[in-house]
Amino acid sequence: MAKTTSSTNCQNSHGSYSNYKDLEDLAKPHIESFDHFHEVGIESILNSIKPVKIIDPITNKKLEIYFGHHDLYPPQKERSKIASIHKTLLPFECRQAKISYSGRFDVNVCFKFDDAHHPIQHKFHFGYIPIMIKSKLCHLRGADSQKLVSCYEEPTEMGGYFIVGGLERLIRLLIMPKRNYAMSVERDTFRKQQDGYSDKAVIIRCVRQDQSSATNRLYYLQSGSARLGFWVKGRQFLLPVGVVLKALIDTNDQEIYVNLTCCYRDKYQKVKGAVGTQLVGERVKIILDEVQELSLFTRAQCVEHIGENFKPVMDGVGNETHYSVGDAVLEEYILVHLKSYHDKFNMLIFMLQKLFAFVDHMAAEDRADALQNHEVLQPGHLITIYLKDKLQEWLMKGRRLIQDELNNNRAKYSLELEDVKKTLDKNPSRSIGTAIESMLKTGRLASQYGLDLQQSGGMTVQAERLNFLRFISFFRSVHRGAQFANQRNTSVRKLLPEAWGFLCPVHTPDGEPCGLLNHMSSTCRITSYFDSKGNIKNFDNIRSSILNVLIGIGMTPSLPKLVRAGPPEVLCVLLDGCVIGSISSTIVEKAVLHIRKLKLSANSGIPEDLEVGYVPLLGLAYPGLYLFTSPSRFVRPVKSLCHAGKNLDFELIGPFEQVYMEIRCADGGEGGRTENNPATHEEIHPTGILSVVANLTPYSDHNQSPRNMYQCQMAKQTMGFSSQALQFRADQKLYHLQTPQTPIVRTAAYTKYNIDEFPTGTNAIVAVLAYTGYDMEDAMILNKSSVERGMCRGTIYQSETIDLEDKKIGSSDPRKIFSRNNSDMSRGTIDSDGLPYVGKIIHPDEPYYSTYDTVSGTTYKAKLKGSEPVTVDYVAVDAKNPDKDTQKVNIRFRRPRNPIIGDKFSSRHGQKGVCSQLWPDIDMPFSGTTGLRPDLIINPHAFPSRMTIGMLLESIAAKGGSLHGKFVDATPFASSVRKENGQSSSEPDSLVDELGTLLKDRGFNYHGLEVLYSGVLGTELACEIFIGPVYYQRLRHMVSDKFQVRNTGPVDPTTKQPMKGRKRGGGIRFGEMERDSLLAHGAAYLLHDRLHTCSDFHVADVCSLCGSILTTSFIQPQKKAERAINGLPPGRIPKKVTCHACKTSKGMETVAMPYVFRYLAAELAAMNVKMTLRLSSGAES
Amino acid sequence: MDAQPEPVSYICGDCGMENTLKSGDVIQCRECGYRILYKKRTRRIVQYEAR
Repeated sequence: MAKTTSSTNCQNSHGSYSNYKDLEDLAKPHIESFDHFHEVGIESILNSIKPVKIIDPITNKKLEIYFGHHDLYPPQKERSKIASIHKTLLPFECRQAKISYSGRFDVNVCFKFDDAHHPIQHKFHFGYIPIMIKSKLCHLRGADSQKLVSCYEEPTEMGGYFIVGGLERLIRLLIMPKRNYAMSVERDTFRKQQDGYSDKAVIIRCVRQDQSSATNRLYYLQSGSARLGFWVKGRQFLLPVGVVLKALIDTNDQEIYVNLTCCYRDKYQKVKGAVGTQLVGERVKIILDEVQELSLFTRAQCVEHIGENFKPVMDGVGNETHYSVGDAVLEEYILVHLKSYHDKFNMLIFMLQKLFAFVDHMAAEDRADALQNHEVLQPGHLITIYLKDKLQEWLMKGRRLIQDELNNNRAKYSLELEDVKKTLDKNPSRSIGTAIESMLKTGRLASQYGLDLQQSGGMTVQAERLNFLRFISFFRSVHRGAQFANQRNTSVRKLLPEAWGFLCPVHTPDGEPCGLLNHMSSTCRITSYFDSKGNIKNFDNIRSSILNVLIGIGMTPSLPKLVRAGPPEVLCVLLDGCVIGSISSTIVEKAVLHIRKLKLSANSGIPEDLEVGYVPLLGLAYPGLYLFTSPSRFVRPVKSLCHAGKNLDFELIGPFEQVYMEIRCADGGEGGRTENNPATHEEIHPTGILSVVANLTPYSDHNQSPRNMYQCQMAKQTMGFSSQALQFRADQKLYHLQTPQTPIVRTAAYTKYNIDEFPTGTNAIVAVLAYTGYDMEDAMILNKSSVERGMCRGTIYQSETIDLEDKKIGSSDPRKIFSRNNSDMSRGTIDSDGLPYVGKIIHPDEPYYSTYDTVSGTTYKAKLKGSEPVTVDYVAVDAKNPDKDTQKVNIRFRRPRNPIIGDKFSSRHGQKGVCSQLWPDIDMPFSGTTGLRPDLIINPHAFPSRMTIGMLLESIAAKGGSLHGKFVDATPFASSVRKENGQSSSEPDSLVDELGTLLKDRGFNYHGLEVLYSGVLGTELACEIFIGPVYYQRLRHMVSDKFQVRNTGPVDPTTKQPMKGRKRGGGIRFGEMERDSLLAHGAAYLLHDRLHTCSDFHVADVCSLCGSILTTSFIQPQKKAERAINGLPPGRIPKKVTCHACKTSKGMETVAMPYVFRYLAAELAAMNVKMTLRLSSGAES
Repeated sequence: MDAQPEPVSYICGDCGMENTLKSGDVIQCRECGYRILYKKRTRRIVQYEAR
């Protein structure tokens, strides 16, 4: 049996330039959003920030300041005095030098005086904005693997993260409510906000073109009316909906009444899907009465009413009229995704109808926890809205500063360009780049009003390269939101059917973040601003072509006025949260079919990722045809069946439409569907629902499901081949497996995602038997000789950065340099440049670098901490600041981590175990026919309760594969896929048959059993043993990093008890429960030993007269005792102790006690409580 | 401090050129001006026994 599989006979071998496109696709949601930020986002925020106006109170001179053209440059090196040839800054340099990979950001600020025709432009430097790796501004964009290697990167580098201060950090994808979709929600908190509110509302999260959002809520009042809630500067304001309706367009009460009540028809009342009731009319009357009570009749009055009330809270509306303030409120805070007031009015009418239907139980609640109503917050969009917030803040602060100058300094200060620029410089513009960098560094959004996001912290995480699978998972993970983490209610964590195909059901951590931190399935994508050809989508064109198509089919467009009819007769058609018309329910299905067909054809003008959310008249959710073109939606490809002829067309579908679609499995069956209700779509492959990591588990369809979850966890903490560019990395800690192998049994995803570039385990020959008893309780026996031959050997690379600039704060001259003091003994380990010799082994407490302080003339030697020797792997010297000769050094140590007792291993089936013995090869059992000894022995008890049949199959399959010299495909659900030749899934023979014959062909036992002989006695073992190769992973939890033991050591200075913490050489707490168990055993002496003698044993002097332990003190003997005579030690002077309170040394007693007791006495004394000890001798008293 | 520190060899991170620097020299490659230099592996005996 071949123990190692050489890559020469790899059947999936590809040329040296592999295609890493599938890997690159994984990070696409990150990169595309950042590309959008730089290509469109910045421009749109600069345009959308309103100009600030300043008026000189004396001269009445007017000044308008706004942003103009901008430039964001690719990362460049700072220009040094000595002209450097290299100008471009590469990511690897940032990692090594611990700096940020960021590009300069300049914006022209325009100053317009007194309505001058042309503004004066002045360029401001807004600091450096971190650039995402492999985005369009990155130097690595479009680089093939050869170029990447020449830039000292991984050949598979896929980007998607930032380098901030040398650390790789990425912005988490966060779940957000679906944009521009009105959702009906029931929450108890709505009722609490004011009297008369019900618990029902319709919520819509409106997103502007620049990605900033504003949430509107339409509350239902118990009186039958409704209030529109919106947030201004972090505070919610509520307006009667009638006022808003009337303020939006010129309308009259009758029109509003008809518009709202049109969804109710008597004759349809009992029809499925009807939404209106008689009550709607009554409610509309109440809404209109409310407006009348405020004595508002015309549109102008309503707008002025709003303006009057909002003048104090709006910014920069000094002398504006009420009307223009009211207009600004409507524009900036109410249904902000729509520009035209007619659209806003129609949408508000639609929301009211939906609210009333929901209140009357004519339509079901939209589930806020279901993926159906979700989208993601992408990294680029987050940076966009954060940058907008920061720029706005800068402009506002600048205006305040100028205005202060105008008010305080009237004589000297005039509104001239120079003065204004000088004042603006007081408000450092570079802080904007710093703010974004620190957001990436800490993950905290420092924003005054929260940016309409639910959380302000934890936005970024460090992308650890512990192994490749962990690294990819960061880019595929989707977090539900930090606010749910500490919620008592667990309903948000549930796996809901809506997430099918989008979020992996297997790949979620167990424990605290379970169900909140999900991973996207391998086929799931996120829609973006770029079409499949990489061009920026023109949403106006897309929307108008969709509109034309729909009108062509028979939709009645809603402009100029809303169509006055409702479900079930006609259905509203909404496109990105805008009511564009209505369509008769008789033709809607045909229309949907037609749009789906156009989606597939290339030049129809309908984007391929359009979401056609047709909610049919089922009497459940509010019916309608909801179309979405927006970015940030989840989509996944499925086969479309309805368009005859083209059977292999992939359609991208979203979670909103998926709920109402008929998608059958790929096994050729109909899944219980009948003739009248045929499937319209088909899954591509069943493994499409699994994430990348879950897809790598072989035969995962034969395992008990939790085991697959454990495997996903453990795959991410495996020691693997972490990096191919290891030589150029300076990560704090890197785990590295010396001798990885490619698995014999692998899934299709393994080749698809090129995991061979970063293998994570070893094919170990595993025997399942109870041998020696050292394999009890998930322990496992490793073959000592296998380990010595290199199995599972590994190292930890630990880097340390020593920056001499950090240590001297305040002084600018280089005080310290690396240097060696030649006079002492440090020559052995330190070179003449003050740094260690590369390749040298350094033992604990030996110095490894030394610095020389040029001012004080002292040398400092850093000594190695820890308890194990290390090897110096590399030493890199670099000059961070090109002009000064500052010194910074990266020293990397190598710590050997070869398997020892206590290290953790795991197969790919959630079967973890701890090495209990390194058993000598000669004493291992051996096969009767081949003489082969296993590398690893596990106990058969690991299987019955855990039911990881996949592991048994892997063993047989790998055995057969290695006998035939082939890799074995172990893709899960292989039997549920129609064969290529159209044959249905009635498989000819079972999987076991298939694998068994492989063994039988080579003369092995069909079931993978072999006769083994005892290695110790040489006798045949009583039963045949199941033995075969299984891919084993070495987990990063190793005893060498964990063991904690002490006899004596550092103590806490206040209590004199042993310290806590492994790093400091502290002990492990012997707590109350441990104490209880000793008490229960009656082991009093041991208890006394642990808690007193070995802890803070103390002998105190107590004054028996006053009972105090604090007033006693030594008296120094008056003169030194007689000198030592003839070399004899001086006689011991008897201690003299007196009590200060009693002024006598009579009655002094010594008492043994814990030192904390004395501490307690002192603390009590500080609170004016005296503690008195009543002494008695022994058992008397 | 002694008068004459022995020079130490470094390899440029960009062009691979060997640079010999003394204590106090500017850390920069003489050939290409690159500022990250790697120390060469020592020629001294690191380990006496290979067991």
